Amino acid sequence: MRGRIVRVVSALAAIAALGVLVNVGTLAADNNDNDNNGGQHRPPQTLPQGFETHRELLHDAIRSDEAPENSAWILESTRFMGVPFRSFMPDRGDKPTVDLPVNVGIIKGPDGKLGLYDSGWKQLHYIFDLNTSCCWAPIRQQMTAIGLNPNDVEWIVIGHGHWDHAGQISEFPNAILYVQKEELKQIDFFLNYPSTFDGGHISRVNTDPGGCARSPVCGYPPQTVNEILGKVLGGKAHIVDGRHEIRRGVIIHPAFRGHTYGSQLLQVNTPRGQLVFGSDTYSSWEGIRDWNVANIQQTDTIQQMLAYEKCYVLTSRPGDMSFHNCVSAHEPISYTAGYPLTSNWWLIPGGNCSRAAELTLANGEGTHVPNPPPRGACTPVIPPH
Amino acid sequence: MMPRAERLSPSISRRGLVLIAVGLLILIGIVIVAVAREATSRRVVAAALSRPAAPARPPLTPAEETYIQALWPIHGAVERSAVRMSLGQIFYVTKDVGRTELKARVDEALTTFQKAEAQLLTLEPPPSLRPAHDEYGAAVRLFHKSAVEVSKIFADGREDHLRAAYPLAQEASDKIREIGGRFWPGEFPPN
Repeated sequence: MRGRIVRVVSALAAIAALGVLVNVGTLAADNNDNDNNGGQHRPPQTLPQGFETHRELLHDAIRSDEAPENSAWILESTRFMGVPFRSFMPDRGDKPTVDLPVNVGIIKGPDGKLGLYDSGWKQLHYIFDLNTSCCWAPIRQQMTAIGLNPNDVEWIVIGHGHWDHAGQISEFPNAILYVQKEELKQIDFFLNYPSTFDGGHISRVNTDPGGCARSPVCGYPPQTVNEILGKVLGGKAHIVDGRHEIRRGVIIHPAFRGHTYGSQLLQVNTPRGQLVFGSDTYSSWEGIRDWNVANIQQTDTIQQMLAYEKCYVLTSRPGDMSFHNCVSAHEPISYTAGYPLTSNWWLIPGGNCSRAAELTLANGEGTHVPNPPPRGACTPVIPPH
Repeated sequence: MMPRAERLSPSISRRGLVLIAVGLLILIGIVIVAVAREATSRRVVAAALSRPAAPARPPLTPAEETYIQALWPIHGAVERSAVRMSLGQIFYVTKDVGRTELKARVDEALTTFQKAEAQLLTLEPPPSLRPAHDEYGAAVRLFHKSAVEVSKIFADGREDHLRAAYPLAQEASDKIREIGGRFWPGEFPPN
């Protein structure tokens, strides 16, 4: 009997010791990415998490409530027409097709200087001849038409590096660009993705003629990556690693693999509380509301949900965990009362039927919405290209 | 002889038949209203945004298709090397890679661009694609020139060369995006 007890205790001790050994270096949900020795010894298949705890997020929310307030608008770079709904949101499909705006965020600080969240795109041949989008106008012209001086843009945060969101960076030569290092690293990683493994199956998926030249990620033509290089060489880029505070009340939060590997959110303090801009991680505001994934590209669906939760936490008030202040890039019901944050909208004068919405005003900023707001019928044109 | 309705269903009274008829009429009415409403809302959407149709793409001739297919692997290699060189420079400036790694990327790019120039010379585009072919060749030569400029940093260590190389690569990138969009519209789906 005694011998049996000794054997059982020894076996349990061995299992416990093994557990301790195996657990060394295991990443826990609360770990900061840098806890693992700066990521230097991260196993090859372990990716940076970009996790932030509720405590950390609430801390950012509470601190930012005391920060100077910002005004905010969105404008529409283009509109994708007739996109199959299920390709956008696989769990939905109440309509066969939807029109998706490509929204750009504009933030005006207490000093009158501007920041952009995403920068839209300008590849006209693709936009008009191949993609059948509508309503493009040059971003500087759009900004001027809504009463904002494009020369005042001091910084641009790209929610991710896809060409329809990071496509007009060079229109703002003096602006500082904020991009996640993880976004650049993932492009680099997949450029070297082996084409021989499993008969090159994964590589072939997108590299057949006409497909994306760099599988399994695509959306980063040399043109876009080179524009980022231009910012770096000009000393106008800030390569961010996770959370970063641009200034009090304007904070970048990582949303790794919420859409792409290096996706990032932007928290902005405003009179209506914290806004969180999410680019394609927040492709659909209804998706955030209803906990549906949307626009899944290089997305880890759990990470997209965690990014939704970041918005709930950052914008929450006591007794009010809401989704109202999450700013979506492609929400089909943008510029309608159905998406209340964007309901104060108007057609941009001379903007080729593109729309703008005033989200919130601070510091005595007067409204930029014409009275009455133009919202009538509109016929877009295809500009020469 | 019994009336036909009574014969088929003796339990259904005249009052029952009237109720069924009324029910059917209501259903038909709902369908008519729904169809009319749907048609009206479609007209409203059309009025709100009438979009000019993009010109239809003429179908490719067999010669054009053959040429575009032959260009694809060259294009893929050029793009890959161009992006690797751009990222190499970014990581070099941010001190994430050293000169050895940057040199490896630049050397690889030089080889790719030289090879692409040679391969382009062997292609015979149909007359309709000759301008695009020439334009593509010019883009590759710009990439090559840009890589040569970057490589000068290894001789004198001056980062000015990266800044001098940048506009060349940007012009080349703009050109191949334009041509690539025409030849392979699905290459970079917006997302």
